[in-house]
This record gives sequence, C-alpha cells and structure tokens, in this order.
Amino acid sequence: MNSSTITLHAPAKTKTQGRLDVLQMISGVLLILFLWAHMLLVSSVIIGPGVMNAIAWFFEETYMAQVGGPLIGLLIFVHFLLAARKMPWKTSESEAFIKHSVMMKHRDTWMWLAQVATALIILVMAFIHMWVVLTDLPITAVKSAARIQHGGWLPFYLVLLPIAESHVGIGFYRIGVKYGVITADNRNWYKRKEYALMGGFIVIGLITLVRFMYLPLYSGM
Amino acid sequence: MSRRLHIEVFRYNPLDPESKPHMQSFYVNEYDSMTLFIALNIIRDQHDPTLQFDFCCRAGICGSCGMVINGRPGLACHTQTKDLPEHIVLHPLPVFKLIGDLSVDTGVWFRDAGTRIEAWVHNDHDSFDPTQEEARMENALANEIFELDRCVECGCCIAACGTARMRTDFLGAASIARVARFYLDPRDERNVENYYEVIGNDQGVFGCMGLLACEDVCPKHIPLQDQLGIMRRMLALHSVKGILPKALIEKLAHKGCCHENHKS
Repeated sequence: MNSSTITLHAPAKTKTQGRLDVLQMISGVLLILFLWAHMLLVSSVIIGPGVMNAIAWFFEETYMAQVGGPLIGLLIFVHFLLAARKMPWKTSESEAFIKHSVMMKHRDTWMWLAQVATALIILVMAFIHMWVVLTDLPITAVKSAARIQHGGWLPFYLVLLPIAESHVGIGFYRIGVKYGVITADNRNWYKRKEYALMGGFIVIGLITLVRFMYLPLYSGM
Repeated sequence: MSRRLHIEVFRYNPLDPESKPHMQSFYVNEYDSMTLFIALNIIRDQHDPTLQFDFCCRAGICGSCGMVINGRPGLACHTQTKDLPEHIVLHPLPVFKLIGDLSVDTGVWFRDAGTRIEAWVHNDHDSFDPTQEEARMENALANEIFELDRCVECGCCIAACGTARMRTDFLGAASIARVARFYLDPRDERNVENYYEVIGNDQGVFGCMGLLACEDVCPKHIPLQDQLGIMRRMLALHSVKGILPKALIEKLAHKGCCHENHKS
C-alpha cells in the first residue's frame, strides 16, 4: 500500500507485476536466442558468400525476414518498455546508483549500469540497422559488403556489435541469477561461460566484418 | 611487521547545527589479530571520545557495527585489519537514518520491513495452549529454517543493494530471505498467494535486479542469492498460473534448488 492507494480500503489483488517480470524475462530470452542465431547466420559469409546468400534466400522466400524482422523490432521495443520500468530515469536515482557503483567497486553492480547504457544505444542503432537492411531486400553478401566498404557503416557495426553482444551476454547471466538457475554454487562457472560466450560472439562478429571488408564486390556479377 | 594504520572516519552529528559532514584521520598502531572494532575503540579511548559507532557483542552476533569499510558494507567486529590495506576509509551504512558519525538506525527500517512482510507465523488457530507440547519437525528442516534465521539484521545487504539505494521502498534481500524462512516453516500456514501479496511486487522480489552485492557482502554468509531466486521463481510462476500450462509450471517450479520440504 502506498499513498495513492491508501484511501482504497481493500486494494484489489493484482498479478500484474509478476506477469510483467515474466514477460520481461521471456522477451529477453527470445532476443538472446535471436541475436545468437542472427550472428551465426550472418557469419556464414566466412565460409562463403554463397552460403550466406542461400540462407538469406531461404529467409526471404519463406517471408521470415519480411514478417519476422519487424516482429523482432516490435519485440525489442516491448522488451525495452518492460525493462525500462527499472531504469534510473530520475536524476536522484541515477546519481544514487552511480555513486553506489563507485563506492562498491562491485562488478555485478557496474554491469547493470552497462545494461542500461547499452540498452539505450541498441534501441537506436538496432532500428537503424533493421531499417537499412529490411528496406533493401534481398539480403546478399555483396550488398552487406558494399555497406561495410562504403558509406561509413563499418564504425556503426564496430559499435553495435560489441554493445549488443555484451547486453545479451550480461542479460543471459542476469536472468539466470534472478530466477535461481544460477546459484551460489555454480555462479562462477556460469560467469566464466558468459564471458566466453560474449567474447566468442564478438570475435565471430569481428571476423565477419573483416570478411565483408575484403569481399570482392564485382566478381561474378 | 606492525603497521601504523591510517583510519579515515566520516564525522557528522545531525543534531549539532554547527556540525558539517567531513572526513577525519586517525592513526593507530596495528597488532596481531586486531579487528576494526578494536581499532575504533582505541580511537575512542585515546583520540576522540566523541566518536559515535555502535557495537554490543563484538563477535558478529548483534549486527550493530555494520559500516562501509573501504567501499563495502561489513561488520567492524568481523573484519580483521590485516585483511585491509594500511589506509582504511569508514562511512556509515547508506539507506538507513544517520544517528551520528558511523552510527545508523537500522531498527526503524527493519521494523517497517518486518511489518510490511508480516514477519510472524500466521495461522487460523482459535487459541494458543501454552501447556501443550510443541509440534515436532524434522531436524533437517529445522536446520534449514535456522540457516535463514541466522540473519542479524545488520543492514549490510540493504546498504550494498543498488536497488535499495535508488528506491527507498525496496524491501531488500534480508526481508525476502525472511519471507523464505516463513515459507519453509510448517507452522506458518500462509500459502503462495499470501506470500505473493507481501512480496510479489516491484518493492519485493520483482524489484530485485540480480546485482548480487547482498550475497557478496553478507557477513553471516546467508544464502541470499539462492533464496531470492527461489522466491522470485515461485511467485513469478504463481502470477502466470492459468496462462502457462500447468505441467510446465510444475516442471519449472521443481528445477534446480527448491524448497522440496515445504507443504505446497
């Protein structure tokens, strides 16, 4: 009970806050799985542009890109709204949290601040990325390579890649902690695994970017 | 290898209008197995009798001497100076009301939290017969309850919690672990729905952001992380009863660490 409900003698029972928490978790898990799958699929260009083109063709032929893409965008936005309930929007809150993080020198506390910052950056950059890719279908390795080689998209992806992968990696660990899957006994093991996953995906992403940088744009066309 | 410790202490007396918050340095000669509690007593005896800090048991039992030691909340009596660098910086615990210097009022905070989570055994019995023999419970269960009952309410987990620092109405790990203690106790006849009513909200389990500082600073090593996980999962699953398939909820509820002993 708080000051806004104190005049209600029998406040209604509600399960809303639990349900929102579950929705935040589920949307997070779906986005984690999506991003990892996305990274692996795009990295198929390392094997060969033909493989990536075939995968892209499959996703467009089945309309998964055309329908699924915007749906993922919607999911990102919903996940943002749900998680933003906890964000330190008030100056007093962000000041308190930053002061607290500096005082504690505690990595898991700092990591939450990283989650907030990366979330806001991803929210903007992911939508730019989606717009650029989905308004220029079909997806082909050569078109992606052209974006990296010209038009200044390399710095864009050099920022988005580590930020998105860290947000997803930290989120993965945090969901495990919140729901009691990661316990005091296996916390260190999961933490190491989380760092390895995060590092692994960032490395795969960087190799993919390098591949795009050096992919010949005109051969075979 | 006796060191000369440089102890920097936060000084402020809110009752004195002349007093301004500032840091004051003291120098104390370290000796073997010295605790911070001993060092503070030396300061009060030999340097400044006006220094305020709380203590009672000097053995990690009363939970009075919680303070921020080089950035981390902990008990002064539980902290040996040999584990600290030569320069020690002491602040009062945040979140709680400052009485003066290193002394804070944790009592009012815990009293309020205890009232909000209704930290007492609930049942529908008509009367209590004090002559009757107490109901028996398994030793293993009694131990499990005791494990959580060891909390001394020192306030370290609350002061270490980023959420509690941002949001004054957050109940914190100590309160949620306290509900977990009643959840285990067969004498408490509250059901999941009743527990949901007290901590199934953003002031309770759903407000926790999993920062785990509570777990990392608890001087009594109470399994806060696991209890928070258990309670959050149980209450989250309760909130989606009737939405998710029953079999799935049942399966998720019994995965990993759980209160298998509890009547459900």
